[in-house]
Order: sequence, then C-alpha cells, then structure tokens
Amino acid sequence: MGKLELLQTLTGHKGIAWNVSWHPQGQVFASCGEDKMIKLWSKEGQEWTVKTVLVDGHQRTIREVAWSPCGNFLASASFDATTAIWDKKSGQFECNATLEGHENEVKSVAWSPSGQLLATCGRDKSVWVWEVAGEDEYECEAVLNAHNQDVKKVAWHPSLDILASASYDNTVKMYKEDSLDSDWSCIATLQSHESTVWSLAFDKTGERLATCSDDKTVKIWKEYKPDNQEGVIVSDRESVWKCVCTLSGYHTRCVYDITWCHKTGLIATACGDDIIRIFKEADDSDSNAPTFELVCTQLNAHSQDVNCVAWNPAGNEELLSCSDDGEIKIWKFSE
Amino acid sequence: MASRFSGALQLTDLDDFITPSQECIKPVKIEKMKTKTGAKIKIGDDGYFDVSSGREQKLQKVEITLADCLACSGCITSAESVLVTRQSQEELLRVLSERKHTDLRGVTNDVSLVVVSMSPQPILSLAVRYKLSPEDATKKLAGYFKSIGADIVLDMTVAEDLSLLETQQEFLQRYQEQQADPNSKHLPMLSSSCPGWVCYAEKTHGNFILPYISTTKSPQQIMGTLVKRVLAQSRQLNPSTVYHVTLMPCYDKKLEASREDFYSELLNCQDVDCVITAIELEQMLESSGKSLCEVPGAELERVWGEDEEGAGEGGAVLMGHAGSGSGGYAHHVFLHAAQQLFGETDVPVVYRNLRNPDFKELVLEKDGKEVLKVAIANGFRNIQNLVQKLKRGKSPYHYVEVMACPSGCLNGGAQVRATEAGGGRELVGALERLYAQLPRAAPARRAHALYTRWLAGRHSDKANALLHTSYHALQKSDIALNIKW
Repeated sequence: MGKLELLQTLTGHKGIAWNVSWHPQGQVFASCGEDKMIKLWSKEGQEWTVKTVLVDGHQRTIREVAWSPCGNFLASASFDATTAIWDKKSGQFECNATLEGHENEVKSVAWSPSGQLLATCGRDKSVWVWEVAGEDEYECEAVLNAHNQDVKKVAWHPSLDILASASYDNTVKMYKEDSLDSDWSCIATLQSHESTVWSLAFDKTGERLATCSDDKTVKIWKEYKPDNQEGVIVSDRESVWKCVCTLSGYHTRCVYDITWCHKTGLIATACGDDIIRIFKEADDSDSNAPTFELVCTQLNAHSQDVNCVAWNPAGNEELLSCSDDGEIKIWKFSE
Repeated sequence: MASRFSGALQLTDLDDFITPSQECIKPVKIEKMKTKTGAKIKIGDDGYFDVSSGREQKLQKVEITLADCLACSGCITSAESVLVTRQSQEELLRVLSERKHTDLRGVTNDVSLVVVSMSPQPILSLAVRYKLSPEDATKKLAGYFKSIGADIVLDMTVAEDLSLLETQQEFLQRYQEQQADPNSKHLPMLSSSCPGWVCYAEKTHGNFILPYISTTKSPQQIMGTLVKRVLAQSRQLNPSTVYHVTLMPCYDKKLEASREDFYSELLNCQDVDCVITAIELEQMLESSGKSLCEVPGAELERVWGEDEEGAGEGGAVLMGHAGSGSGGYAHHVFLHAAQQLFGETDVPVVYRNLRNPDFKELVLEKDGKEVLKVAIANGFRNIQNLVQKLKRGKSPYHYVEVMACPSGCLNGGAQVRATEAGGGRELVGALERLYAQLPRAAPARRAHALYTRWLAGRHSDKANALLHTSYHALQKSDIALNIKW
C-alpha cells in the first residue's frame, strides 16, 4: 500500500478554499476561494509561503484558477460571471483582461495545450471557447449549449484542441472545431454516471478520461477511433468514448475532483467524506477493461469536504488538496 | 430534445423546459378578502376552494402567459406549453375551424377575416424540403393556407421594403445626431429585426445596449400593423376580428408577436395573432397525410395597391433583398448612406470576412480614409464579441446587422432541418443560393404607394408611430438562495 505524507498545511484563505492550480513547472501554485482572493505560493527553503495576493479582481467567490501552459498567464473563474486573466508584464501580477458573457456564476476555466484557447463554463448551462486574439484581447469563438443543466468543469485534451465538459445533467460532452466554418460543435456525449459529474481528467495520451461524480463512482473512459482494432462502431467518423471501468464501493460520498498524473499515471480523488484516495492501474490491466487498485486512503485528509486535488506536473508525486475547511495541504505520495 | 430557439435565447434560460426556473419572479396577484381570520382553503380533487365565506368558491388557477414571461427576467417559460397554447399549429387549426379567437388577454372574438403573411425564408425552406421551385412553393403554400380556411394569403415583401426604408432613414438621422454630439449613443446603430437578439439585449445588457438598437419594427411587426390597420380599415372590419397569421423561419418570432408593445389598446388586438414556422408547417402537412407537392396552388393577393405603380418586377410572386438572406439590412444601409452622406453612387459592395464567415464588414473609403463601416454579425458568438467591443469602446462600426442564428434567418431555428447528419451546412448553402436567385425587390418604388396612400407620406408622424417601436431593459433579480456550487 502507498502512503500520503503530509508535508505542510497552509492556511490563509478565509472561508472555503475552492481550488488550487500548479504552475506548469511545478514550483509555484495558485489557490483561490470564497474570500475573493487568489494567492500565489512558492517554496522558501523547505516551507511553502504566500508570495503574492491578488485582490480586487472579482466581486464574488473565485471558484477556479488555471495557469496557461507557458506559465505567464493565470485565469480565474468567478461567481461574479466573469473570468479574469492575470499576467505580470508590468513586473507584478495584474488583471489585464476580463472575459464577460456568462449570464451568472462561472464554475471552471481551462487553457488549451497551445495556450491559444480558453474554455469556461457555468451555471448558465453553457460552455464558451475563447481565443487569444492579441495582447490582452480575447474573442469569443463559440458558445456551446449542449448541456441542459449547470456545467461544473471544463478540461482540454493534453495535446489536441478537443474540449470536455462535465455537468449536473450527469453527462460529459466533448467538442471540437469544424475547420470549414470555424464553428465548434459537440462530437461526443459520455453517458453512464447516475448523478452530477463534478470533474474530469485526461490521461497523458488523451485517449482515456477519468470522471468523478455525485453517484460516488469514478469512471474510466476509453476513446475508440474510427476503424479501431476492437471493431467498436463509430458514426460520422468521430471517435466513440466508452466507459471501460467503474470504480464503485470506494467513495462514501460525492466525489468532487479527480487528477490523473501524466508522469506517474496515478489517479487521486477528492471526496465529500473528507478522504483523499489514490488509485493505481494494475500491471496486467487490459486496455478494454482496465483494473485500478486503491493504493492509498488518507482518512481525515481535511476536516470537511475535499474540493480539489492536483498532482504536481513535475511528476514528483507531490499532491495538493484544498477544502471547505479553508486549508490547503501539500502531500507526498510514496508506494 | 433540442430547443428550437436561437442560441441567444437559449442562454437567457428560454429553453428551460425541464424544471421551472427558481428565478421566476412574476408576482401573482392575490385578491384580498375582507375577513379578519384570513381565508380557509380546501383542497378538492378538481381544484382549490375558498370556504371562508361559508360556501365553497372555486379558486382560479394561476396561469402564466407568455406575456408574463416576457416581462420577467427570471426564466422565460418553464414549459414550451406556454407558447404552445397560443402559438401552435393546433391553435391555428382550431381558430380556423371555429372562426373564434381568444387573444393573449383572454378576450374572445369572432373571426371575420383570416390573413396569412409569408416571409421568404420559410418558403424557401419548404421549397427545398418538397423539391419545388420557390414560385411553385409560394403558390402551393398559399393554396394550402386557403384550403385550411385562410381568406387572404400575402407575401411579406412590402413589409420588408418598409422596414429597410425606415432603417435607412433612421440611420441617416442617427448619423447626423452623432456628428452633432459625438458623446451620444446613436451609433453604431444595431439592427432590430431579430427578436432573439432584441430579447437577449433587453434581458442581459439592458440600458447599455438598447439605445443603439434601431427603433424600426421588424418586417413581421410592420406586416402586423399593415394588416390590422390598413387592410382592416380598407375592408371596414373591426381589427380585433381579423386573425393574422405569419409564416416565419424561427420560434423567437412567436415571442416577438406576443410583446405588449405590439398590442394596441385602441384596437384591442395584437398585430400578429399566431406565428407558424417552417417546421410546424411541415408537421401540419404530414399529420394531414399530404405532401406540399400535391396541394393545388393559389395566387397571392395584392392588397396594397403596389401594382398600380407598375412596380415592374414582372409580377414575380416571391422576391428577395440584396445583401443577405436575413433581409439585406447592412447592404441597404451601406448603399443608401454612401449616396446620401458621401455622394457615392457606384460603390462596390465587397464584404471582407473577419474571424469567421458569420462576421463580415463593408467599408467605404474616401481619400484613403474609412468613412463608413458596416458589418453583419450572425450567431451568438459574434454577438458576444460585438457587445464586448462596444463595452470597451472599440467597435469601429456605424451600423451592424445582427442576427442570433449562425448564417442569419435562412438558417433560422425553425427552418426544416437537414435530413442527414452534417447536411446542415449544405442545406444553408442551397437556401442562400436560392435566395440570391430570387428577383430583387426595389424597396423605394414598391413602398411609395403605401406611404402616400396609407401612412400620410414618408417621415409623417403617422408613419413614425406605426413603423417604429421601443425596447425595455429588464432588471435582473438574482436570488442568493438559488446558488449551486
């Protein structure tokens, strides 16, 4: 069995700590919360400390933060219906662009692998795709109304401009751009969860997706491309995504977040039962019916709901978590 | 189930047909009773009964009408049934057979005359669907409406003409006012014929954007005015007994027809009583087991005296306007303004595509300077970019033709869908080619007779009152209790 060692507990947010996001190099991370603040943390000696506090960007709760792949921009999604883009061109971090358009709460924001596109989603049931159109200029590329309920999370494929979204309508949808008229459309609907899908994470190949839900399960989905060897039928020359594994019986409450390490292949989940769990794919796992083993259960990881988990992209098995209890924790996993 | 409303309206909760929105804030009027103890209410099998007066009195059910929904900034309708009650094919067939109509305010009138006005986009949609020429489709649709009880079937060209002429005139006026006061909000002028866009602007951007929106009524509502005032008057009919049906390319037109602004207190009636779309017409034909091809054709009526002027369009039954399948607003404003403001008559009309084919612009240069810049912005994403540019003071345009649907009205949300998956783009392409091949209407010539005969001349108070409307910002009420994480 593996073990999660607590490296440090960070306090600093008043009220709920909603989300943490690693800088792509893994030496800095950002956190956000109910207190409308964004904090940037880095290591001083052995201690993680707050280096910068970004205030006055939003008028309500900040639900999610995301670093651009180049690491120069930070996007923040807020319940005030806006998404702010921060950068430090002037030497210190400032909000230099605000994306407006959502009717109400923005729940999630994500940068595409190229950093040229951004996706946002929210309570208005829509998913928006924005394009970086110049310095501090962002243009709306698409407004996607495929979901019929609140959209909780957006995530990009690790190497292609394919977007996935998770919703209160129990489904996950995928989208891509049609080059003919540069319009985006839904290319797949992933249906199997029995309640709200809260979060999702691609593996490093982008050919598998892990989702977590209020139905207390985690599901692994596999992409079957046109003309796949397995003979899975596709339509319109678009890939089909099939649920190939359901992890049930592990989580006792809603699973709020999931992170799939692109270096180690480990999956970590954040759950409403205050527990962080880590799953590892078995060595003899069949790609069409994979097996994942629970390798670590960190009881009382937080004193309340765990809202977010994030593997350090450097692959050093450091894991960040944050919670309703306002705390951020840094863990180190070892087998 | 996919909503047939435009993308803009879907975002404003209009497709909220699954659960009633918690933001519905329409207050229900409660008749206060003069008792000290309050009312006693009994729940029966067939309703609620007030028993406080000693005898049972059945309480009225609360009904939320479409007009209520339009006045609220919460959800717009928790069920499409609200729309369906007054704006459906079933209602149309019922009114035509009973010759009785109950309006949005619950007043029932006998129907003395049924008038159907057809706009070109759904006609083309049905022409393609049934593989008919536009002319044959027009005649067969006229024949079909007559066969189910319509008395008069008209095309909407004349209303489109008037809408374009008024738009051109309004633009010149706004341009001059903006020159006089550069800080005013007269420009850019934004088109108003798309009800999805107007409804979105009212509900989401309110007083910021509304001053820019053209006050000129849409062709549908101008047609409504003409039918209920001019036509009814010329036939000496009480307008509230004239039942006016329009055939339109989108569902949003039903909302437009239901607006309070288009109810006349004086005449006690709505200008348009029922909006039927291409999809619904196809369903009507299917449910009666007919193909449009086998319906005997009929001629369109000519009731406005337009032929007296020898309009010279060779008696074409269906006409289009240059510039775009949405009615050619940007095109007509551009050419008229180039001529009137800059004395340019032979201006080349070359659209420049911007970020995507649904956002393009037309520029008039004089002495190397851009003096006039108009654009067409179709689809919700381009509406967004336009609104954001305006908010940041970065919009370079004088006029923008704005339509909520990608590709504009030919791709309206209630046009007959492509049968094959992915065939949508080809279908829109086919409709665009068909529209471009239609004989071109010449607005000024055709509308002349109407202005002089019925509207007391151009620019008259009467013409202004009848051909223009106004918009109303809706206050957002966000109830904190509704927050979901």
